[in-house]
Amino acid sequence: MNQPVSSRKPFPAELLAALMAKFGDRVSTGAAILEQHGKDESAHPHAPPDAVVFPETTAEVALIVKLCGKHGIPVIAFGAGSSLEGHVLAIYGGVSIDLTRMNKVLAVHAEDQDVTVEAGVTRKQLNQHLRDTGLFFPIDPGADATLGGMAATRASGTNAVRYGTMSENVMGLTVVLADGRIIHTGGRSRKSAAGYDLTRLFVGSEGTLGLITEVTLRLHTLPEAVSAAVCAFPSVDAAVRAVIQTIQLGVPIARCELLDATTIGAVNLYSGLELREAPMLFCEFHGTTASVAEQAETVQTIARELGGMDFEWATKQEDRTRLWQARHDAYLACRRLRPNNRAFSTDVCVPISRLAECIAETYDDIAMASMPVALFGHVGDGNFHLVILLDPDHPEEADLADALNRRVVMRALEMGGTCTGEHGIGIGKIEFMNEEHGDAVSVMAAIKKSLDPGNLLNPGKIIPA
Amino acid sequence: MQDIIDQLAHAIREAASHKTCLRIRGGGTKDFYGGPLRGESLSTTAYRGVIDYEPTELVVIARAGTPLPELEAVLREKGQMLAFEPPHFGSSATLGGAIAAGLSGPRRAYAGAVRDFMLGVRMVDGKGSDLRFGGRVMKNVAGYDISRLMAGSLGTLGVILEASLKTLPLPAAEFTLRREQTQAEAIALMNEWAGKPLPLSATCHTGGFLYVRLSGAVAAVRAAREKLGGEEVTDGTTFWRELRDQRLDFFTLPEPLWRLSIKSTAAALDLPGEQIIEWGGALRWVRTIADAQTIREAAARCGGHAALFRGGDKTTGVFHPLPPVMMRLHQRLKQAFDPAGILNPGRMYEGL
Repeated sequence: MNQPVSSRKPFPAELLAALMAKFGDRVSTGAAILEQHGKDESAHPHAPPDAVVFPETTAEVALIVKLCGKHGIPVIAFGAGSSLEGHVLAIYGGVSIDLTRMNKVLAVHAEDQDVTVEAGVTRKQLNQHLRDTGLFFPIDPGADATLGGMAATRASGTNAVRYGTMSENVMGLTVVLADGRIIHTGGRSRKSAAGYDLTRLFVGSEGTLGLITEVTLRLHTLPEAVSAAVCAFPSVDAAVRAVIQTIQLGVPIARCELLDATTIGAVNLYSGLELREAPMLFCEFHGTTASVAEQAETVQTIARELGGMDFEWATKQEDRTRLWQARHDAYLACRRLRPNNRAFSTDVCVPISRLAECIAETYDDIAMASMPVALFGHVGDGNFHLVILLDPDHPEEADLADALNRRVVMRALEMGGTCTGEHGIGIGKIEFMNEEHGDAVSVMAAIKKSLDPGNLLNPGKIIPA
Repeated sequence: MQDIIDQLAHAIREAASHKTCLRIRGGGTKDFYGGPLRGESLSTTAYRGVIDYEPTELVVIARAGTPLPELEAVLREKGQMLAFEPPHFGSSATLGGAIAAGLSGPRRAYAGAVRDFMLGVRMVDGKGSDLRFGGRVMKNVAGYDISRLMAGSLGTLGVILEASLKTLPLPAAEFTLRREQTQAEAIALMNEWAGKPLPLSATCHTGGFLYVRLSGAVAAVRAAREKLGGEEVTDGTTFWRELRDQRLDFFTLPEPLWRLSIKSTAAALDLPGEQIIEWGGALRWVRTIADAQTIREAAARCGGHAALFRGGDKTTGVFHPLPPVMMRLHQRLKQAFDPAGILNPGRMYEGL
């Protein structure tokens, strides 16, 4: 939560005039709009841009980038604003490019199982659009994020364990480069296009190497059968062991989420559920009717051997939706545990073989913390979150939370893990880049410099100053 | 082993200071692939062996010079595999070469490509720096995804030292069937089946037959086998291995071999010569004397691109030409990793 040192250039009147001339009322400098574009879902202090522009085409995005480039003014892509590490904050001022009006599904190729969308299409909008095709887009980070934003942050979520992350599901991109040129990477053929795999470079670059304006995504066949289950465990350790055994047996489990007792308590209150306040796994199985039954049987056997109780099934769509909505609302639910709090979320990912140990040691830290801390996560991937609830009237808690986060990150790095499994670096984890990557950061900085020599694409993110 | 890294890094620094080219080489089984070989050979074969293998977490970390057969034997012993099924064009093929070439085998269309299984790399860049990207965890969004950029970069960005890869359990059951079909029928069937919940793990049309491999749980494979019909191929394992390693008769034909990566639903290509169709229709191997432009246009019309894989005239380039803006971007990236331009120059494109 270190406040970045930022310096803002005065915003050139000439640039504003040029934007106004071109975009008319699609340029805004209204306080409310600026404020809305200066924050995300993190606890980082707001940093509004100097102007917000709402382009409707890739060519318009390119024009904005060129105009801003002429004046040396930063540009920041903005989608749903659901990032968690200050990715969209205009810490050096500049123009926020709001892509939500680029919200068209451009082409569904049901036979080839791919789709091309504009960056502002949200994942729920896409799945709504696909509803009659027998196909779906599985990546589900919880928030109804835009697909451009999800590509830019290499998002994942609850079913990455089965379907992968954005990294495995983006086939191609349209990107506006720092000089305003437009490129198309990858494509609809299975192997990405000739040359370097630039798609992989732009996916997860957080708007620092180019602005993603269109995304071609791989779609998946809707499973014939889906069933979900919850199961309580005597300890977090037992729950984690159940997951490890499941993965090891090659059970193609679609989702596998751990919620600790504190989180379950919060979820019960928030979503009106009556789950046992114990560590629980939320699982989901996709496949043919026979394979789902087989998977569920296997997992149930494993769970039982590890002391699992209250195995409960949800095969009806509405029951499943209720369950997963509760899981997705876990963050909001936890925030209700303390009135008027500021929430701070950690995001480490460790090798699965170290997960139980890592969580156990983390609980020793939590036990010493004076504020409420809930733990939940995507244990099938080794990725878990702590939600630390801070009282804004007690600023010393922020330092305690920082220290707790640092301990959790250092432990993860020692165990061969990463400081961030899915939230990204933004401004919040920049301080860990050198510790995690060492000299490799200098290569990332060289790439940034070489693709964005003026440092105008979302400056101050990912690469330490 | 550190002494080998020191030697590699030293050789690179020397070459960079004298601006002499280096040609990175593992087992040399893919010397035929890509542009001309230039410069002194820099061998990775001494840096070999599995560093860490944790079957419980489905991750293996191995040195670049490890021969693929050796690595795969280690995995097989624990009931696991490299699911992208990398081709072995010879028994000395190495892990580093498989990653640098970015080539995947028959399972690719159903399980994913090399890059999808890359969790991290250790490499020496063109300045001689020993660097690590990514790691051994399933998800990592800490900065740019360099380990995946390395897949298919043909040694032009650095010398891969080590890689950590996700492994998968060997399927409990595997079954190969074949049905007599025309190319057009095979393309239609492959695409139809891809949209169904079938445990497909490979498809291939050659010699008037559509070959299908099913992999997965015993019950699922049995059910699919009944659904798809056809006759059993008893030595299915051999068939897919020979296809992967290009040892089928098709690959001994004299005409240049082209590899076309196109959208899976594209109709049978109207090019002279023999063809093999793989990856549910998305990969077409063509033995043809047609000229490069004709082939590239045919690929582009089908939403893809063509590479001259073996033989033929390489003077007009091997890979699909890049538009100028993309070429500049490639050169900038190359500059960030290898400012002296000494690593495998021209292996991918002239000027890179």
